[in-house]
Amino acid sequence: MAAPLLADRALGAVLVLAGAGVGWHAQSLEVAFAADPIGPKAFPTLVALAMAVCGAVLMVAPATRWEKAERVLPGIAATVAMFVYGLALPEIGFIPATFALCVVIALAFGATPLRAAASGAVTAPALWLLLDRLLDLPLPRGPLGI
Amino acid sequence: MDAIAALMGGFAVALTPTNLALALAGCLIGTAIGVLPGIGPMNAIALLLPFCFALKLPPESALILLAAVYYGSGYGGRITAILLNMPGEPSAAITTLDGHPLAKQGRAAAALMVTGIGSFVGATLSVVMMTFLAVPLARVAVGFSPADYVALIVFALSLLGAVAPGNAVKAWAAGCFGILLALVGVDSGTGIERLTMGSMEMLGGIDFTVLAIGLFAIGEVLLLLETRMRVAAAALGHGERLTLAELARCIPAMMRATGIGFAIGVLPGAGASVAAALSYSTERHIAERGEHRFGKGDMRGVASPETADNAAQIGNLVPMLSLGIPGSGTTAVLLGALLMYSITPGPLLFAQRPEVAWGLIASMYIGNVMLLVLNIPLVGLFTRLLAVPAWVLYPGVIALSLAGVWAVANSPFDLMLAVGFGVLGYALRKLDVPLVPIILGFVLGRLLEDNFRRAMALSDGDVAALFASIPSLLLWACTAAALAWPMLRRLRA
Repeated sequence: MAAPLLADRALGAVLVLAGAGVGWHAQSLEVAFAADPIGPKAFPTLVALAMAVCGAVLMVAPATRWEKAERVLPGIAATVAMFVYGLALPEIGFIPATFALCVVIALAFGATPLRAAASGAVTAPALWLLLDRLLDLPLPRGPLGI
Repeated sequence: MDAIAALMGGFAVALTPTNLALALAGCLIGTAIGVLPGIGPMNAIALLLPFCFALKLPPESALILLAAVYYGSGYGGRITAILLNMPGEPSAAITTLDGHPLAKQGRAAAALMVTGIGSFVGATLSVVMMTFLAVPLARVAVGFSPADYVALIVFALSLLGAVAPGNAVKAWAAGCFGILLALVGVDSGTGIERLTMGSMEMLGGIDFTVLAIGLFAIGEVLLLLETRMRVAAAALGHGERLTLAELARCIPAMMRATGIGFAIGVLPGAGASVAAALSYSTERHIAERGEHRFGKGDMRGVASPETADNAAQIGNLVPMLSLGIPGSGTTAVLLGALLMYSITPGPLLFAQRPEVAWGLIASMYIGNVMLLVLNIPLVGLFTRLLAVPAWVLYPGVIALSLAGVWAVANSPFDLMLAVGFGVLGYALRKLDVPLVPIILGFVLGRLLEDNFRRAMALSDGDVAALFASIPSLLLWACTAAALAWPMLRRLRA
């Protein structure tokens, strides 16, 4: 019976821990001179305390059930693709990186491989033309010069 | 009549070719994202923000564009609600109750017509009220001391929990989390590093666009990925057109909805969804005295929430411009946009930067006329958007999101941070934690701390100074009520 409400208890615990962590960190913020009497630590301490209190309330009175996802794999694939994109973008250039990203996300949304490739092949150059050429926002160029 | 003269000055700004074109672009984008489920105005503004900034648009032009996206989305949401029985944006949820039955009866075109007119009436009358109310409201706040501001901001944040439909404690926790995120980086008062976890990249603080794009655009797409979408749109229908008699019966409903919507909108924390729901139930109560078809397809049942929705959206802008306190998530994003331009909205905005404040207000008169034209004769164009498959749309949204982050930050670290916030946004949605308080806490966090420290400096550390003035006492009393209200509500239930 407690299991479905576990998500809220866990969230409460995370909030309490985070509040405690921030509060502890704030106590180390000692300055030799501050223009105001309370300095940089009082405010974060107060806010962290408030957050921890909210977390404690959630642990005592959880409310939400975590609804199971119908599909998990597509979300994980998309997340991994976005992280890799962040690392790869400056290395391989905007068009190849964006093409790969779009293909993965299109596949995650249930496109056939051919359609996914088409989606990436249109989106990546179109965005590059719009942003880099038309709007003059420099995007990273890879070894291919694009 | 200073307001009229100032408004004329605003029209001089809003009527330049660039600003007219930006308003039109904003209206088009706004209606389109209103139509598309899963992409709300907040996502769209977060997405456009880095480009405004990178293109060095002047602040008034950027605000005209972004605000047009914001109030344009209020027109678009109804299309999806009526044709698809799902809200294109959250505040259109109520419109589905009568809108979809009407569509099934072949009267979608009539329902779209009456809601289009309602949106225009609600928005335009609200802009008129705003024209005369914004400056007097700002004058009240000119005399606010730092201690009064502390009370005002705490009140705005506590109200979020009280009026939100979900769990109040989660809303407050989210607000605290947002404030803490705002504190990351070098403390401006003393130069000490706070909450950076020793990371060099964090020294400058978390970029607003990184947070907004991550939480809203990326998080929303991740949530969409976990369900299979199966929806079928109702046809526009060639049934009977809207008759004048039907429209006439809706006029009193529209007037009441404008009043309710605007009043709810001006109140910080209560958004367009609350206004639409309250307006619908009020209208239903009134209609129950006579003949009605509420719930089975009554024109008043779509006109009322749509009018209130648009009136509340405009109302939300009033505290944002006059007090610097946003009333909703989207206005918080707009406030964040102004802060990126180093413009602090608030009591002095109308005096110091009239071109920004009045240019925006004037552009809203023009924008709503544009939207009326876009949404009545051209509504068919926007319904075609519903046929764009997800695998074309969402890869583009993600690519544009990440390109936007790159445009402002130019660093792989910030790209990763945005994706991290995306995962967080997904998890918080699953946990039913509202995201709006995070954004509100983030844009108000530093302001709250600055005013708190200033108040303490003035009183030499005496906490009693926070409760020393009449406005602050009133606001603290309201805060106490806002904190107690959800508990009372729970006890009663």
